[in-house]
Order: sequence, then C-alpha cells, then structure tokens
Amino acid sequence: MLERLPLPSQFDRVIVMGSMLVVLIAAPIVLVLLALLIGDQISAPEFVFWLAAAVVVGGALGAVLLPNVVHAALSLVATLLGVAGIYLLLVSDFIALVQILVYGGGVVILLLFGLMLTNAQDDPVVTDGSQKPFAFVVGALIGGTFIAAILDAEFGSSAATVVAFEDFGARLFRDYLVPVIVVAVLLDIALTGAFVNARPDPPEPAETTEDATATPGGAS
Amino acid sequence: MGMEQVWLLPAIPFAAFVILAPLHRLMPRQGDVIAILGMAAAFVLALVVIADFQGFFVDGQFLPGGQNAYSFDWVTIGGDFFVIEFSTWVDSITVVMIAVVTFVALMVMVYSVGYMKGEVRYGWYFAAMSFFTAAMLLLVISGNLIQLYLAWEGVGLASYLLIGFYWERQTAAEAAKKAFITTRIGDVGLLIGIILLWRATGTFDIQEIIHAAEAGEIGMRYLTISMVFVFAGAVGKSAQFPLHVWLPDAMEGPTPVSALIHAATMVVAGVYLVARFLPIYDITLVARDVVLYTGLITAVMAATMGLVSSDIKRVLAYSTMSQLGFMFVALGVGALTAAMFHLLTHAFFKSLLFLGSGSVIHATDEQEVEQLGGLWRKMPITTVTFVVGGLALAGLPIFAGFWSKDEILADLLETGPLLAYIALAATAVLTAIYTTRLVILTFFGEPKNRRAYDRAHEQPAIMVGPLVLLAALAIVAGFVAIDGVGEALGFAGGIGAVVFEGESGHAFSIEGGLALGATMAALAGVFIGVIYWRGDARRAEQARGWAPELYQLFVRRYYFDDLYQATINRVILGLGGVVAWFDKRVVNETGVDGGTQSIGYLGYRLKFLQTGRIPNYALGMALGALILTLIAFGVA
Amino acid sequence: MIPLENFLLLSAVLFAIGFYGVLARRSAILILISVELMLAGVAINFVAFSTYLDGEAFSGLIFALFVITVAAAEVGLALGIVLRLYRERNTANVDAADELRW
Repeated sequence: MLERLPLPSQFDRVIVMGSMLVVLIAAPIVLVLLALLIGDQISAPEFVFWLAAAVVVGGALGAVLLPNVVHAALSLVATLLGVAGIYLLLVSDFIALVQILVYGGGVVILLLFGLMLTNAQDDPVVTDGSQKPFAFVVGALIGGTFIAAILDAEFGSSAATVVAFEDFGARLFRDYLVPVIVVAVLLDIALTGAFVNARPDPPEPAETTEDATATPGGAS
Repeated sequence: MGMEQVWLLPAIPFAAFVILAPLHRLMPRQGDVIAILGMAAAFVLALVVIADFQGFFVDGQFLPGGQNAYSFDWVTIGGDFFVIEFSTWVDSITVVMIAVVTFVALMVMVYSVGYMKGEVRYGWYFAAMSFFTAAMLLLVISGNLIQLYLAWEGVGLASYLLIGFYWERQTAAEAAKKAFITTRIGDVGLLIGIILLWRATGTFDIQEIIHAAEAGEIGMRYLTISMVFVFAGAVGKSAQFPLHVWLPDAMEGPTPVSALIHAATMVVAGVYLVARFLPIYDITLVARDVVLYTGLITAVMAATMGLVSSDIKRVLAYSTMSQLGFMFVALGVGALTAAMFHLLTHAFFKSLLFLGSGSVIHATDEQEVEQLGGLWRKMPITTVTFVVGGLALAGLPIFAGFWSKDEILADLLETGPLLAYIALAATAVLTAIYTTRLVILTFFGEPKNRRAYDRAHEQPAIMVGPLVLLAALAIVAGFVAIDGVGEALGFAGGIGAVVFEGESGHAFSIEGGLALGATMAALAGVFIGVIYWRGDARRAEQARGWAPELYQLFVRRYYFDDLYQATINRVILGLGGVVAWFDKRVVNETGVDGGTQSIGYLGYRLKFLQTGRIPNYALGMALGALILTLIAFGVA
Repeated sequence: MIPLENFLLLSAVLFAIGFYGVLARRSAILILISVELMLAGVAINFVAFSTYLDGEAFSGLIFALFVITVAAAEVGLALGIVLRLYRERNTANVDAADELRW
C-alpha cells in the first residue's frame, strides 16, 4: 500500500511509518483520557499530566528498547519534551525553558554528533547485551523499592507555589553564587577534557630520528 | 667451710665436666687428671661436711635434723603459688650418700685410668663420669623435689651416655635406649607423685611435705596414691620388678661404669628416695607394703636369674638387683638404719666385685664364665680381692655384708610378716650359692679356654690399688655396727647413733641367735656352691636336667623381655600406626591438601566474574547498591 | 490539583527505565541516553518536592538547575571518551573494551 504513495525517499517512508505507529499507539490513550475528562473523572490538569506522563514514559521505553540507535535518540527527544511539559505542570516555567534549551538544544545535538562520528548510519541496529533479564529484574526491583517508599510515605498536602523569575534569578546569583561559579568551572573542565580526549593524537617525536643520533642532547 | 658449702659437692665435678667436654681433645692425657682431681676434692669436701655434721651431736642426743643450707628462689609464679628454688638439705641420709658416692667414684675413676687406657673417646669418658657424679651428688643433697627430679633425669642421661659408650656396637646402643626408656616410665610416675604432693601441700620442699603429711594435712588415700607413684620412680631407677629389664642389658657399657652407676650409686637413688620419704611411708602403710613386696619379689627373682647366667657381669647385675630388693624390703618394714647400712656396705663390695671382674675381662678379653677358670694362678691379687667381695656378698661373718644383711633380716623378723622373712632368708642362701658358683667358675678349677688363660696376667697397680682399698673396706666397714668401734673413732655413742639416727640409743641390734642362723645359712649356701660347681661342675649339669622348664624360665628372665617387646609391638606400634594414618589421611590430605585444592578451585571458578565488560560491572554495582539500600531500610 | 505522589511515581518510573537501559544496552551512545533519562527523573523529583513542600525557599529548583547543567557537561565529556573508544576499536560497543579481565 505504501508503495503507491508518492514518497520521495526512503527516509520519508520511515518517518511516515513511524508517525503512523505513534499515532496508532497514542490515539487510544488520548481517547481514553478524553473520555475520563469529559466524564468528570479527572480534572483538566490531571488530563494534561497523564498525557505528558504518557509521552515521557513512552519515549523512555522507546529509548531503551528500540534496537535502532537513531530511533532511540529521537525517542529521547520526545521524552525530554515531555519532561518539559511536566515542569510546566509543576509551575516551574524557568526550569522548563532550561530543560528545552539545554537538553533539547545541547545534549541531543551532542548525542547525534556522537552517532555521526561513530558511523552509526552504517550499522544502526545494535543488539542488546546478554544481561537483559538481570537488568530487567534489578530495574524492576529498584523501581519497586522507590514506589513502595513513595506510597508508604505521608506528605502534607499543599498547593503548588509559583516562583517569579526575578526572585529565582536574585536568589540564584546572590545566595548560590559560589555554586554557579563552580559549575561554570566544571563545564570548562568538562569541555577541556572532552577536547583532549577527542582530538587526534599528536605526531610521534621519534620521527626525527636522524637529528637525535647525530647530536645527542643537541638542540632541536 | 661446712654444711653450708655442700652445694660445692656437685659443682666441682660439674665444672670438671664443663671443662672436659669441649676441650678434652686438646689436653694432655685428655684431661683425666682434672676429673680425678675434681673427684678427690669432692671427696675431701664430703669428709668436711660429715665432720661439720657430726658437730651437731651433743650429749648423746642429736640436735634436730641437718641444716637446710643455701636456698634461693629461682622461679616464682603468682607470689606463693608456684616456687622453684635451689635448696640443699643435709641430714644423716645425705651424709651416708655423699660419703659413698664420692669415695666409690674416686676409686672407679682411678681404676678407669688403667682400664680405659687406649680406648676411643677416653677424654669423653671422664667428662661423662664427672657429669654423672655431679648429677648424683645434686640428687642426694636436694632439698626440694624439682631439683631432685632435675638431678634424677640428669643421672638417667649420664647412664644413657655411658651405657652407650661403645655406641658403634648395635647391642650397646639398644641397651642404652632400653635403660633410658624403662627408667623413663618410672620417672613419669615420680613426676605424677611430685605433682600430687605439690597439689596437696603447695610446696616442693621435701621437709615441708613430710611435716605436712605428719601433721595430717593430707588425706590418707591421696597420700597413699602419691607415695605409690613416687615409688614408681624408685622402681624404675633401681631396676625393681617390673621395670627391672634394663639392668642386665646395661652391662654393655664399660665395666667401671657398671661398677659406679649400676652397683653403687645410681641404682641406689631409688633406695635414697624412699628413705627420704620414709616418715611418710610410715604413715601410709599400704604404700610401704608395696615397697616391701616389690623388693621381696625382685630379690627372689633376681637371685634365681643370677644362678643360671653365664656372663660375669650379668651375674653381678642380677646380684645388684637382688641386693637392692633387700634394701627395699628393709625400708618396707621401716628399718631405715638397716637399709642405709646395707647400701653402704653393698656399695663397697659390689663395686669391688665389678672392678675385679673388669680386671678379668681386661686381662682375658672374655666375659663368659664358660671360657674362664683357674685364674687364681695367674692373677692372685685380683682373686683374693674378688673372693673377699664374694664373701661379703654372701654374708659371711666379719665381712661387711654379714652385718648389714643380718640387720635387715633381724628387723624383718621383728616387724614384718613371717613369710617374707622365710623368703628373704632363702634368697640369702641363694645369694651365697650363686656367688660361690661365680667365684669357682671364674678363678678356680681347670681353665676351659686355653687361649684366654694364657693371656691372663695381673693388672697394673693403678687398677689393683682401688681393688685392694675396696677390699679392705669390705672387711672393716661392717664394724661400724659395733658401738665400741664408733666411740673409739670419736663418734660419741657409736657411729650408729651419730649417723643412723631415728632409733635412739643403739642403732644396731645384733642378736646372737639370729646372727648364728644367718651365718649357718650363708655357710650352707657356700657349701652347696662348692659341691655343685667344683671341678668340672658335673653335678650342676645334672641339676640342670631335673627341671628344664624352670631352668629355661630363669634363663629367659621370666619371659619379661618378651612380654614387653610384644606389648610394644602390638599396642604401641599399633597405636602409632593408627595415629600415623590419621595424620596422613585426615589432617594432611583432607585438611591441608583438601583446603588448598578447594580454595584453588573456588578461585578458578570465581575468576570468570572479572569479564572486563563495563555493563557487567555496572550490574554488579547496581545489585550491591540495591541490597545495601534494602538492608539499610530494614527490609532484607 | 495534581497530587504530589503522581510526580514522584513518574520520576521513579523514569529512573527505573533509565536504570534498565544503562544495564541492558550495549552501544555507548545508548548507555548515555539511558543516563540522561535517569538524570531527568532525578530532576523531576527535585522540582516536585520543591514546588509542593518547599515553596518559599525553592532550593529544589536550584538543585534541578544544577543537575541539568552537570548532565550536559557529563554528556560532552563522555562523548569524548566514546570517540576515543571508537578510534581504538572501530566500534562504539562497550564490550570491545574488555582487556582488564581474567
């Protein structure tokens, strides 16, 4: 059926198929949630929350389960955008913005560069390791531990408080100035380290052997 | 200079040993002069001590005991709890012992200069002899049990060294081992006894223990058992039944060694020990009866075995065993004086007999009486001295043995069971018989081995001198029993009263009737011996045929050697095999090797965990963190 | 309002999924992606707690900011290492770096 569509290239076909898959999976979920909303089972904020949570979890599952590295990276993008939505629900617009900027604009780009430099386009499919079952068990155990702890705890119910930009910035650069500087230095170090690691190896000093034997300890 | 310096008595010979043992090869004459000088000095010092001791006798009464001179603490644990000290104690028993030991040792050493001339390890001989005398003297002057036990073991060691002097000979090495091991069994008993006594009284000091026992501080059964254990040590050292098997074999050593150690001094250490503790044995009469009957059995047994032995030294060894039995019988009825007196006289005439036999052996290179005979023509002086010694042993009047043996028999009749008296009297007759047999077969009659006879000649003066001196003593030593002699010598109340205290007034009782009876018995024995073994000893051969099994029993030493060897083979070596199997299989293979292999295998299996792969390590870390979390929050 | 537990549960689920990915994935890039998921979950946790329970002193928000920043730095550094690994072994598979083994 798809061959009959007037598609320009292979990639477009992949995008189309992927979008269709996502819609197929997402549509039932959205419909259910809508039904619940209209039926006054959940409130509007909760509706948005469940939607965003679905995106986050779906994207995360895709990131860890999809065999194709590029697909997995793109799934990560979806997750990060979903997380930004969660931040908005938590009335922390600043953090949401930072999330999109840093993660979406920085981290994902870096990851895609990494994929490119390791020639992932030649062989994008990576089989997972042999310890998948153990990993599943351990992951489930950790998640279970956390969930049990959360359900067991009692939190005083209170409303979400909004934090103004000005207050946030003032606080950040007044009370937490030192950590900010430290993080700046940290970024600096990280970038330097990355550069040192990633640069091509310097040329061997032993290539100038004639000079070394002729003048031992002589000037270069 | 007096009793306080009695500790010098063992110190001088020990110094001689210390000098001679490493250096004897470098000295002129290999140092025998030093040994003899040391011994002479010790003898003189012993006389000084005796003189000082005699000074304690005042107005016909003795001042209590001797003097506990020179005691100092060496090891103290827990304040008063466990104290090892060096202490000396001089009393009448000590005085007799030091006189005997120093004099006989001196005689034997002088004799040895001639006997051991040209022998291999000449210098070491004198060093070992000095060591022996040092240990023996330390033993008799000891005031506490630990020191006594130390000297006891030292004496045993010296005996081992000297029996095995010719250790190139397999039989000598075996005999030395046998002596040491057999006495060791007795020594364990002694040690147990010492420990038991210490547990009851808290002290090792002998006099304190005696006082505690006399004061009734120790329970009767406990005390009896302790004294029996102590007696076990005496049984071992004095070659009494059942630990007697080593003494005949100990004759493998040089003859002067037999004269000193296995006749006059070391073997009487057991007698000395029991004599020391006699006050306690007088309380625990059961233990004292053990002493009595052990001595009695040994006396009879040994006399029968001496009757059929054909080696001169072996006969004398059995005789020593028997005479020691006599001494223990005396102690067994509480007759301290009789026992010590017999110890004194026996030392003289037995060492005389041994040295005499040594002269014969040295001259003819033969030890078997079957090969000897008619030597009186070739070695007259030796013959005379040997006969004197033999008569003393047989117990004929005038000679020393008569007085002491008569003393024992008299005391036995007075206080002991009649059966014991009859048995001991019979043994005295047997003694006379086998002594006469020995003398006749060796020195009289026709020579049986012409070559040995031709070789015989009188020995040099240095060997004959001690023989004559000892023979003189064998004659006169008995006269100390007569008070008149003692008073004439300056001992008020007679020597008996001064030296052999315990019985006030007369120490010696010489009854005419009993003395006459003893004389008749001895003469009868001599007479029988002469008849049976005179000439070609035809009658003795016939007698052998009367009861061949009995003869075999005597010759095979009542089969005790076989019994012990069988026990060792089956029981001890069997046990050893079991223990060896256990050590090899269980301890070594399973435990040690098994442990090694298990760990090696475990390591081999575990190493595959180190795959080098990061995800594996990440899983490990995650697992660890998870478990720690669960534990921290009380879930796992 | 949305209860607090919802956000916390979401963060726990996200963390667990990321955890599984770190242990199960073989390609280095994919492992880094999973690490990002975990960090995102952590940040959600901080922000949720801060908003609901600590409104005046919003230290959780600041912490979340730093988490995001450090996550970015870490990805950059890690990619440098991945490129080095790729240069040596010609693959991004972490199983290729297994010389420190028995």
